[in-house]
Amino acid sequence: MELSLVQRFHRLPREARDTLFLLGVIAWTVLPHLPHLPLWCVALTAVMLAWRTQLALANAPLPSKWWLVTLLILSAGLTLWTFRTLLGKEPGVTMAVVLMALKTLELRARRDAFVVFFLGFFIILTHFLYSQSLGVAAMMLVSVWGLLTALVLAHMPVGQPALRTAGTLALRTALFGAPIMALLFVLFPRIGPLWGVPNDGTPTTGLSNSMHMGSVAEIAQDDSVAMRVRFLGRVPPPEAMYFRGPVLTAFDGREWRPLPIQRATAQFDLRTRGEPVRYEMTLEPQRLAVLPLLEATTQPPAVEGYRVFARDDLQWLTDRPVFERLRFEAQANTDFRHGLTATRATLRESLELPLGSSPRTVEWAMQLRQDPRYARADARTLALTVLGHIRTAGYSYTLAPGTYGELNPDAAIDEFWLDRKLGFCEHFAAAFVVVMRAMGVPARVVTGYQGTDPSPIDGYYIVRQSYAHAWAEYWLEGSGWVRADPTAAVAPDRVLRSRNLVRPQGLVAGAIGNVNPALLAQMRDAWEAVNNRWNQWVLNYSRGQQLDLLKNLGFSSPSWEDLSLLLIAALSSMALAGAAWAWWDRHRIDPWTRQMDSIRHALRLLHVDAPLHEAPRTLAQRVRAQLGDAARGLIDVLHAIDQQRYGRAAQRKPDHALTRQFERQARQLRRNR
Amino acid sequence: MSATFPTPTRFVTSRFRAWWQARLRKTDTVLLTQRNIYILPTKAGLLFAGTLLTLLVASINYQLNLGYVLTFLLAGSGIVSMQLTHNTLRGLTLHLKPMTPVFAGDAAGMEIVLSSPSGARHGIGLRIESADVSTLTWVDVPSGAQATAHVSFVPASRGRHELPTLSAETRFPLGFFRAWTVWRPAAQVLVYPKPERPAAPMPSARATPGGPAQSRRTQGAEVEGVRAYQRGDPLKLVFWKKAAKALEAGGDLVSRDTSASAQHELWLDWQACGTLAPEDRLSRLAAWVVTADRAGVNYGLKLPGVDVPRDHGEAHRRSCLEALALWN
Repeated sequence: MELSLVQRFHRLPREARDTLFLLGVIAWTVLPHLPHLPLWCVALTAVMLAWRTQLALANAPLPSKWWLVTLLILSAGLTLWTFRTLLGKEPGVTMAVVLMALKTLELRARRDAFVVFFLGFFIILTHFLYSQSLGVAAMMLVSVWGLLTALVLAHMPVGQPALRTAGTLALRTALFGAPIMALLFVLFPRIGPLWGVPNDGTPTTGLSNSMHMGSVAEIAQDDSVAMRVRFLGRVPPPEAMYFRGPVLTAFDGREWRPLPIQRATAQFDLRTRGEPVRYEMTLEPQRLAVLPLLEATTQPPAVEGYRVFARDDLQWLTDRPVFERLRFEAQANTDFRHGLTATRATLRESLELPLGSSPRTVEWAMQLRQDPRYARADARTLALTVLGHIRTAGYSYTLAPGTYGELNPDAAIDEFWLDRKLGFCEHFAAAFVVVMRAMGVPARVVTGYQGTDPSPIDGYYIVRQSYAHAWAEYWLEGSGWVRADPTAAVAPDRVLRSRNLVRPQGLVAGAIGNVNPALLAQMRDAWEAVNNRWNQWVLNYSRGQQLDLLKNLGFSSPSWEDLSLLLIAALSSMALAGAAWAWWDRHRIDPWTRQMDSIRHALRLLHVDAPLHEAPRTLAQRVRAQLGDAARGLIDVLHAIDQQRYGRAAQRKPDHALTRQFERQARQLRRNR
Repeated sequence: MSATFPTPTRFVTSRFRAWWQARLRKTDTVLLTQRNIYILPTKAGLLFAGTLLTLLVASINYQLNLGYVLTFLLAGSGIVSMQLTHNTLRGLTLHLKPMTPVFAGDAAGMEIVLSSPSGARHGIGLRIESADVSTLTWVDVPSGAQATAHVSFVPASRGRHELPTLSAETRFPLGFFRAWTVWRPAAQVLVYPKPERPAAPMPSARATPGGPAQSRRTQGAEVEGVRAYQRGDPLKLVFWKKAAKALEAGGDLVSRDTSASAQHELWLDWQACGTLAPEDRLSRLAAWVVTADRAGVNYGLKLPGVDVPRDHGEAHRRSCLEALALWN
């Protein structure tokens, strides 16, 4: 008869079954790392796990130490060869995975098993460096459960316990531990990195402090969330949703950079009109000392743990790079004027064009400027003319324009502006600024985010990394800096509809989308809502929320010392509760034993010797011998108890009425004597 | 070197252990409560704490909230496992069943009944406290039921011996903590002298009790008694009926002793053992008692100062062996 795989698994000898289970858990734990690991590591790990599986099935001896040493040296060498170092995230993860697989080939003593478990926990943590999404969390929860089950299994040495039993016991342990986990998670003081700056956390594309024209052939669509914005009151229109990041003024012919910080100003040159918009922002780690706030935010927001200030180009900065999720409130006026008091002297950097950079574009701009029609034109007219040119001269917006300036990096903008005319926001913004500067108009590139998901989820507007944008500003006498979005000229949808280009969908999403677009949108929204909760409650939980919690608990000016004290107090009371429970639990002895204890006590008061090991029947004989017929009642009760406990119709639990009857009669007997 | 001159630390620990065990009350039934269960983290537990610390530092440095979740989940499970490990022993009742006597050099088996009034308990290991960890006998106790574990030790000499101190321990469920208890059973075990092997020839039955022992075995006489088989006994002398029984019980063949007459009495006499040392004499007498009992004949035992009258049967065998065990 053919057995199914599951049946065959359960019929394996205990040791083989346990080993296979552990190998399965290990494979599951390593699985999400596949895209991050070098090919040789994946192959080596797979071969080692398969080898170990085969050894377990054949009940063959484990390989000798020389094999392991050879494999270890080989993998260390390959790691060094791949990454040029053994330190850091990628080589670390690679080595951890290989070590784990190697260790399975050396599972001799219990200590080895523990090393596998602990390496497993460590590998689970490394997944969070890449992603902390719900999916990864769920997968890793299964891994933790699997590892704990294997651990429990290793401590059930009798017989062949079912996997299900061990799994239930492991689950029970974890569930009992959950309150402690919640308490620690909520109250453990969140502190900054202890040392160094982790440069290699979750890799995200998005804002950058520099822009290198044309170096990127194709930008990946990173749909991860950059920030979530909740408006407290009026919601500004989509075309006003510009979140201002680094302002790139300095241009060396190839690369755009912000001007070096000269002075931080609290009183920058800004005039606003109308009602301000109040909003709450949850900002994912940008890994820069930059806050991309809504234009134009007027007051520095209060960000817990950071000093926030603005440069005079209206860019908001923090005193150090941000590696944590921040949540803060701010207010902005979308109707504003900025840089009215600037002079030609202060605008010098916004006019600089390095000699020899983009010569053909500069020449094109000079010709336009010398056109008699624009002899007396102001900056606004010139800007509108250039934007009109972009709209009508056959430029197209694409995310995959190919590389520019491969032959001559200084001519990258020429290639784009005059030859290929394909590009995305960076190309348009950079070329626009170069043209404006060539015509003598101060201009600069502004980067940031533009737009949000069209409909809010739970009141939160989502800004994705793919909404990162670059636009331009030129300076106009009497109006200050004026925003010009050349991308809007060629792809107005990109700005107005607040949506990036539609990207190719996955197979399933595509199928659903074809049948029922509304359903797809609904599913996506529901998923986003769940994800948003996850982000708000779990991933965004930081020092700010901790201190808010303390405020709600009645601390007037909470500090992390209060947090630590509260944590210690809560943990101590939990420990006390545990001890109290154990103390109470000591009374929970076998009811039969308790019954016999009371009976022996009563007999001792009658001066009848009642040894612990004697059954009720034997005690009855003693009572008859020592007290005679006067104690007939006691003897009867003892016989009845003996019948209940050991007789043919034995009961599961003792009859307390009999106990009481015995005590009553014993009392009577004592009184009569 | 260290065996003859123990190091100071070992000396101190052994003295402390002896003092501490002497404080324990001897009992055959022990209920495990907080007062007699000890618990400490194991090496694996310390390693786990180190792992947790590493995970915590990594979570702090990379600002990983899910890393915190993982660390705290494992920490919570670890703390709870301490309670669960303690729970595995707490409330358990250990009861030692009455001991059956053994011969010196054989293993004396202690039958221990573990009963759990509440839930099921897993992975409880019992051993002689001074024995190696590898001698642990593992047992699971089902919910509200009993389980039996056998722990044995080899008594070295005859006599009435105290039972060695026992320990019960568990690392269930995660192995980060070890809870254990130490238990001194009150019962004693009776150890018979080690029977001589191979057994010397039985003394022949004598006409007059108390007379000088002489071996007067003659071939071809009438069949009157039995004795242990000796090399060279003709096959027709083997008492097959008895021998079959004796073999079944693991003994030797039994031969007819043609020298003993029906009216002669079989006495196993201290004096009949020649010039052996006292302990060796006891061993030989024990072997004779076993053989005579297997043969099912009447026999008596004579020791200096002790006389066990002639009889047969299990009770007689036991009283003879007991006399041998306790003689001094």
